Amino acid sequence: MAYIVSIFLENKIGHFERVTTILKENCINIRSMAINDTANGWGILDLITDDPQKALDKLSEKGVSVALRKVIALEMLDDVGGLNDLLIELSRAGINFNNAFGRIVQERKTAILVLSVEDYEESLAKLKSHGLTILDDAKVYGN
Amino acid sequence: MTQKFWQEEFETLSRNDLEKLQVERLNKTIESACASPFYRELYKQKNINQGSIKSIEQIRELPFTTKQDLRENFPYGFLTLPKKDIVRLHSSSGTTGNPTVIFHTKHDLESWANLLARSLFTAGVRDTDVFQNICGYGLFTGGLGFQYGIERLGALSIPAGAGNSLRQIKLMRDYGTTAAHAIPSYLGRLYEVFEEEGMDPKKDTQLKILVIGAEPHTDAQRKRIEEMYGVRAYNSFGLSEMNGPGVAFECENQNGLHIWEDCYVVEIVNPDTLEPVPDGEYGELVMTTLDREAMPLIRYRTRDITRFIPGDCSCGRTHRRIDRITGRSDDMFIIKGCNVFPMQIEGVLMKIPEVGSDYMINLETMNGNDEMVVEVEVKKDWFRGDIRRLDNLTKTITRQIRDEVLAKPIVKLVEAGSIPKSEGKAVRVKDNRKNGLVD
Repeated sequence: MAYIVSIFLENKIGHFERVTTILKENCINIRSMAINDTANGWGILDLITDDPQKALDKLSEKGVSVALRKVIALEMLDDVGGLNDLLIELSRAGINFNNAFGRIVQERKTAILVLSVEDYEESLAKLKSHGLTILDDAKVYGN
Repeated sequence: MTQKFWQEEFETLSRNDLEKLQVERLNKTIESACASPFYRELYKQKNINQGSIKSIEQIRELPFTTKQDLRENFPYGFLTLPKKDIVRLHSSSGTTGNPTVIFHTKHDLESWANLLARSLFTAGVRDTDVFQNICGYGLFTGGLGFQYGIERLGALSIPAGAGNSLRQIKLMRDYGTTAAHAIPSYLGRLYEVFEEEGMDPKKDTQLKILVIGAEPHTDAQRKRIEEMYGVRAYNSFGLSEMNGPGVAFECENQNGLHIWEDCYVVEIVNPDTLEPVPDGEYGELVMTTLDREAMPLIRYRTRDITRFIPGDCSCGRTHRRIDRITGRSDDMFIIKGCNVFPMQIEGVLMKIPEVGSDYMINLETMNGNDEMVVEVEVKKDWFRGDIRRLDNLTKTITRQIRDEVLAKPIVKLVEAGSIPKSEGKAVRVKDNRKNGLVD
């Protein structure tokens, strides 16, 4: 079961950097990131790190609003049509997701798609019954 | 001969006769006030006897009445008459704590309508005018207050209500509106809509008089409104505790607001010592009703800061003039025509467990509109990384603040710990408004 690190971030100079500084000082590696901006002056920063629990603890200690969120990670090909093939599978399995981002594991070979879903257990069951393999944590975190 | 005054017999009374009338009416007011539980008790304690006022200066011997008194004696502690004689109430907003409520008999409403008609006449409005009241109706006094005043004056009233700029413009053009009442910050916004529609109010409307009030503004802002609309804009002053609009109004000289001294005793005191300030100096306005039956208020501390403008006015009215309101002796501010106390916002936030109780209110001019931006800290432990949860929280806070103060805020969630903690007297309100001087 993989987790991403979600951080409440005001859209102000220096706020993102404050987060990366804490991660750097604690030797936490960011494997992938995305920011969802809102029109309200804040956004959510989502991170895949090599150690989500440690990232949570360290950021929280410094007063950052941070949470871990369960995600589903799936493998895809890093090639033309790789994401498309995977999405076809997901449609067939009847999976809906709110948020997604990806990262490359090995250039031109494999990549990872990370999904946030409304109902985690149900989605997991659907994926399994369609023979899709959920990636293990080590692979998601790149350990 | 054209009529120069609405009620010459009152408006041009000699100071001597005016003060005599005030003394007579003050004694009557004290007598009727003593029928209310609040004043009966207070005046018994202070040993104040009815009919004891011989000269108007003696009013200083009477105790003050405060907003706190109104709240503590909510709802009926100030009533002098049984409910069957009361025909209307107006109340401040608020879902927490006690609102400020004022009751009126038929006589009170007539007296108020007359003062408003007198005020409008003073500003040059006549029964031949088409008067559009761009102002919220309901518990807010600006709607019905003006409505009855316009009708009493005999002008054609358009009870347009607040907002919906396109409709306001259509009403103005369809019916040939010649005079209107609005809060000054809205007139800036309305002008932008005129421009967006490719219209120029100077050419495309018949407006000649605008009455602006319910919100402090500068003379520069007035001049700008006059230029934008090609009108003369007159400053209106009132407060719900003294009925609402129609308490003081500018005449054609536009140099201070005549405050109707046949219906109010007006004092200006130092808010710290509570002693009267010398004429011409700024202080807190203290007012006494002289023609209100249901709920007389004696020496009510308005918290508004102003001064008497020395000298006589060439218009011939003998009622003294007060200067535009320059501030408050408490922390109330006015946005979108609504009176807001920071404590009200704090009260709302304290009931929302997801947020901390520290907050900042920034008053900003955004796209020509004055906005109240409320910054609120999201509690660290509540955060789950979910954008929709935060959006819903924003909506909840927005709605609850709006319900409380009537003005819709822009709620900005901020990171925990980013707002200074409330130690002692933290500054909670920053006013960065441009006073209508946007280019």
